[in-house]
Amino acid sequence: METAEGISQEITEAKTRADPQTTPVSFANGRLLIVDPDLDFIRTLGEQGGETLKKCMQCGTCSATCAISPDQRPFPRKEMAWAAWGMKDRLLTDPDVWLCFQCNDCSMNCPRGARPGDVLAAIRRESVRHYAVPSFFGALVNQPKYFPFKLLLPTVILGLAGLLRDPIANILGKEPETGTRIVYSYSTIFPHWLLNSVFLFFTALVLFASAAGVVRFWRALKSAGAREGIVTPVKGVFPSFRATLKSILLHDKFAMCTANQWRHLSHMGVLFGFLALSVVTFWVITSGINPLIRGDFIYPFSFWSPWKLLANVGGLAILVGCILMIYDRLRDIEQIGAGTYFDWSFILTLLIVVVTGFFTELLHYFRMEPHRHIVYFVHLVFVFGLLMYLPYSKFAHLLYRATAMVYAEHIGRSNPNPEVENSDERQEGRAQ
Amino acid sequence: MADKIGVFICTGYGIADALDIDALCKVATGEFKVPFCKTVDSCEGLNLDSIKEDIKNEELGKVVIAGISPRRYTDDNFPPDVIVERVALREHVIWTQPAGEEDTQMLAEDYLRMYIAKVQKMEVPSPFQSEEAIDKSILVVGGGITGLTAALETAKTGYEVRLVEKTEKLGGWLAKQHQSVPTRPPWRDLEDTGVDALIAEVEGNAQIKVYTSAFTSEIVGAPGLFDVTLKSAVNGQANGEVLDTFRVGAIIQATGWKPVDPRGNLPYGQLADVVLNVDLEKMVKEQGRITRPSDGKEVRSIAFIQCGGSRDKEHHSYCSSICCLTSLKQALYLRERDNDAKAYIFYEFMRTPGLYEDFYRRVQEDQGIFLTKGEVADVTRAEDGNLIITVHNTMPGQQMQVKVDMVVLAAGMKPNSADGEAIRALEDAKVIVKQGESEGQRNDAAEKVEQLKQHEGTEILNLAYRQGPDLPILEYGYPDSHFICFPFESRRTGIYPTGSVRKPMDGLGSREDATGAALKAIQCVEMTSRGEAVHPRAGDKSYPDFFLQRCTQCKRCTEECPFGVLNEDEKGTPLLWATRCRRCGVCMGACPERIITFKDYSVDIVGAMIKAVEVPDEDEEKPRILALLCENDALPAMDLLGQHRLSYNPYIRVIPVRCLGSVNIEWIKEAISSGFDGAILIGCKYGDDYQCHFIKGSELADTRGENIREKLEQMAMENQRVELHQLQISEYRKLPEIFNSMAEVIEEIGMSPFKGM
Repeated sequence: METAEGISQEITEAKTRADPQTTPVSFANGRLLIVDPDLDFIRTLGEQGGETLKKCMQCGTCSATCAISPDQRPFPRKEMAWAAWGMKDRLLTDPDVWLCFQCNDCSMNCPRGARPGDVLAAIRRESVRHYAVPSFFGALVNQPKYFPFKLLLPTVILGLAGLLRDPIANILGKEPETGTRIVYSYSTIFPHWLLNSVFLFFTALVLFASAAGVVRFWRALKSAGAREGIVTPVKGVFPSFRATLKSILLHDKFAMCTANQWRHLSHMGVLFGFLALSVVTFWVITSGINPLIRGDFIYPFSFWSPWKLLANVGGLAILVGCILMIYDRLRDIEQIGAGTYFDWSFILTLLIVVVTGFFTELLHYFRMEPHRHIVYFVHLVFVFGLLMYLPYSKFAHLLYRATAMVYAEHIGRSNPNPEVENSDERQEGRAQ
Repeated sequence: MADKIGVFICTGYGIADALDIDALCKVATGEFKVPFCKTVDSCEGLNLDSIKEDIKNEELGKVVIAGISPRRYTDDNFPPDVIVERVALREHVIWTQPAGEEDTQMLAEDYLRMYIAKVQKMEVPSPFQSEEAIDKSILVVGGGITGLTAALETAKTGYEVRLVEKTEKLGGWLAKQHQSVPTRPPWRDLEDTGVDALIAEVEGNAQIKVYTSAFTSEIVGAPGLFDVTLKSAVNGQANGEVLDTFRVGAIIQATGWKPVDPRGNLPYGQLADVVLNVDLEKMVKEQGRITRPSDGKEVRSIAFIQCGGSRDKEHHSYCSSICCLTSLKQALYLRERDNDAKAYIFYEFMRTPGLYEDFYRRVQEDQGIFLTKGEVADVTRAEDGNLIITVHNTMPGQQMQVKVDMVVLAAGMKPNSADGEAIRALEDAKVIVKQGESEGQRNDAAEKVEQLKQHEGTEILNLAYRQGPDLPILEYGYPDSHFICFPFESRRTGIYPTGSVRKPMDGLGSREDATGAALKAIQCVEMTSRGEAVHPRAGDKSYPDFFLQRCTQCKRCTEECPFGVLNEDEKGTPLLWATRCRRCGVCMGACPERIITFKDYSVDIVGAMIKAVEVPDEDEEKPRILALLCENDALPAMDLLGQHRLSYNPYIRVIPVRCLGSVNIEWIKEAISSGFDGAILIGCKYGDDYQCHFIKGSELADTRGENIREKLEQMAMENQRVELHQLQISEYRKLPEIFNSMAEVIEEIGMSPFKGM
């Protein structure tokens, strides 16, 4: 009988059947490697929100209920087994860990409360730390005990920049002319030229660190795939990247989650808001060299300027997205997962950035002294922190998830159901 | 007074609407000249009082109540010297047959005839009274957790107990354990075994006499009359000196278990660092730490291999149910001693019954304990002295290898039992080897001796029984019992195996089991003292009477009795130990001379019931089929048939029998010569997982059925006229089909030629 229920049942069975992993645990040059569980890794995962990992009894309900897991070697069942056995190398080179959006369908359905979604999140956290360049930064950003230092670092750097404004100006020769007509300055302590110089310098460092992390991760994925002998690229890297980009912008995988159906919308808000702000920022910073700009570039924009509107809408999107995320997390810890320092510090940083941003804007409109300067400084500190910690904080998921998704596309693992043709029916079945 | 018969015909339940009650009364008063026949509205509840009143006033000695099935109303409480038989007119007639039909009326009348004929022949059984006083003390064999608990529980109820332990110390395996798995909520933490307190309690109990370094060298007698000789043992071995002799009423065998020997495909015995779970337990208990046998190195990693030597088709194919728990516990021993140690458990199925699941979860959550399903393919020794285990089909991946300091095989349990029947067969064969009449006979016997050699000297109880010195066993060496329905029961009345000699079980289960066995033993001595049968005919006061003057010493009864009730004298004459008897009547069914009778059940009584049926002439085309139904499953199934209003062929006449094994061929002959056209025998399922309440009855009936068919052929009759069936109570829906198809067979082959002769 082709009922939706029947099909759903069938798929569940097919997945459970396919689950006995068809590859040896660790093979090298055709030889079995001795498995030596990494106890410290298990302990660390436990501290990072994966304390339930040992509860898994390998029933496979998680893999069967996951909407986005491929039918061949589905996740997260195998990851749960590896985690319980402390197989660090395997987990850190496993692209599947990053294909998970932690929608927690699996955690909700797990009969043992092993919360595979949270365990995978903990593994991702460890991945970020593992691939971080320089590596000590990974630890610094993600350990609560270093929080004061984490807060202090951008404050000190920006503070120093402010204090050393004049010497820096001397070093640079003169106050750079930008061709921008400043009708009203946000801050005399932090003039645009200073901010642009400092931010551009650190952005370059961050981009370098990000690229290094991504390259390390990509190489690790490649070599692990080759070691297992299961990887045959089906698509070039560039087409894979294009497909991934499309998938990210559409949030198509994220939208497949059942337990947290609305979560992809809040994420979308944050993502597109961030993109909008990035575009506006890019426009402003490059105004001096932008051939498209004829005549004077008047800054700040007027309220009805399209750029200002775009920036405000973007900021609002992030604000709404963040509030929704926080609301969701507080509303149902069971469903979303308790959240860790890693998660919260990122969401709150984002929230503080947009809130202080809007306040700065508002206070400027009312010319409130000295409040506007204080809030602006706080805003700058958090924007700087957000940027500077990108490759080490949860923000790094941007890098690693995208990389893993490109890799999955590259080796033909992105489609949840590549070999079965009844994908549509499958969705229907799941909707029941 | 004793012979005056009264018949009560119930008109309630719709009986009067379906049947001609006057005609029924006429059967009693006319055909049988019954002096007292009365109709009553109902035959249960308050109406019984009026029946009892009539019994008293009319001085009735034998009463037939035609109404509801006796199984529907058992709390009759009639005077003990009055025989009361109930005819199930409701269940077996009106609920299954159309009302007002001629065949229905004939069926009801025949049933009334059968039961009047039955009570005419029946006598009130007088309970067996032993010449010697029945002893009510209990012997417990084995001083482990089961034996200790059984002794204590028995003593607490006020009975004298003798506890015999063959080693120097009480406590058994429990005393060899370092800690025990949790026995109470939250089922997470290891516990003290509590063995010392238990031993102290037993030793301090004035009702219990403890013998250590002792064994039962002979047990003569029967329930209530067991004469036990104890001899001393050194290191568990007999040394011949008589310690004590005494009499007990019942015996609890709590001889426990021993680990299975996993030698075979696992490298136990080849590599020093591959040890059994019991060895590891001993090590932790004695030295408090875990070291490697080969070099004394502190062990930091252990691989536990589950089902070490068990659950293998070739080798102990059953699950011992405790080895998984033991490995989980022992993994904690290692982890508690070293926070960086690693314990691996490779299993096929992790089995932690009941609430032990919580203990499993707790161990599973330990970060240093690694569990996976898998098949251990190989254990080898690496150059550095560690062991490398190769496992296939694991959960983290298909194959894996781990390197450990030590391997522990989770060996299962096998019972400390002896195969009484095999020991007896061995002795018999040895005699034939010496005194056999022909060369061939002696060679066959020698071969048998060779086969049974392993049983030499394995005796435990040393019973002086014709059928062997120990309890008969089942497939895996566990004493024969009916696990599901009748735990503790063995085929030797008054001897109750319990604990892990009965089935594999844990300490908690053993305590519970021991308590149950203590109750059974007490029940046995109490019932025996009243001359009543124990399970399954509990409370039956009848017992077999042997008219030995006519005995031909054929030994069929002594050999076929499932309970070893009968010993033999030199000539082979049966010697009855009545308190061993379960009253199944298998001996009665076996006896070709028909010399074995019960007061209320005999060849004669059932024969009279058969003859009481009015068989119509051939031209009436109403065949008659005799159905002998086992009282334990098939007869209740008949009642269920009625309750579900399932109809069947009206030519069937049902007679209940105690066990199909009690069916004497004479009855079939009787039926055929009375003009019956066929006979159906329905008993319990037999075979390895038998359902027969008397173990062998239905199987014996099957063998005898073959003889009957041969006899039929000799009489120039179709052997299809006799059918044997096995039926479980739950299969009652099959009954009409059995009856109807038999009727079809009769229709096909025609009426019996013996009709009207």
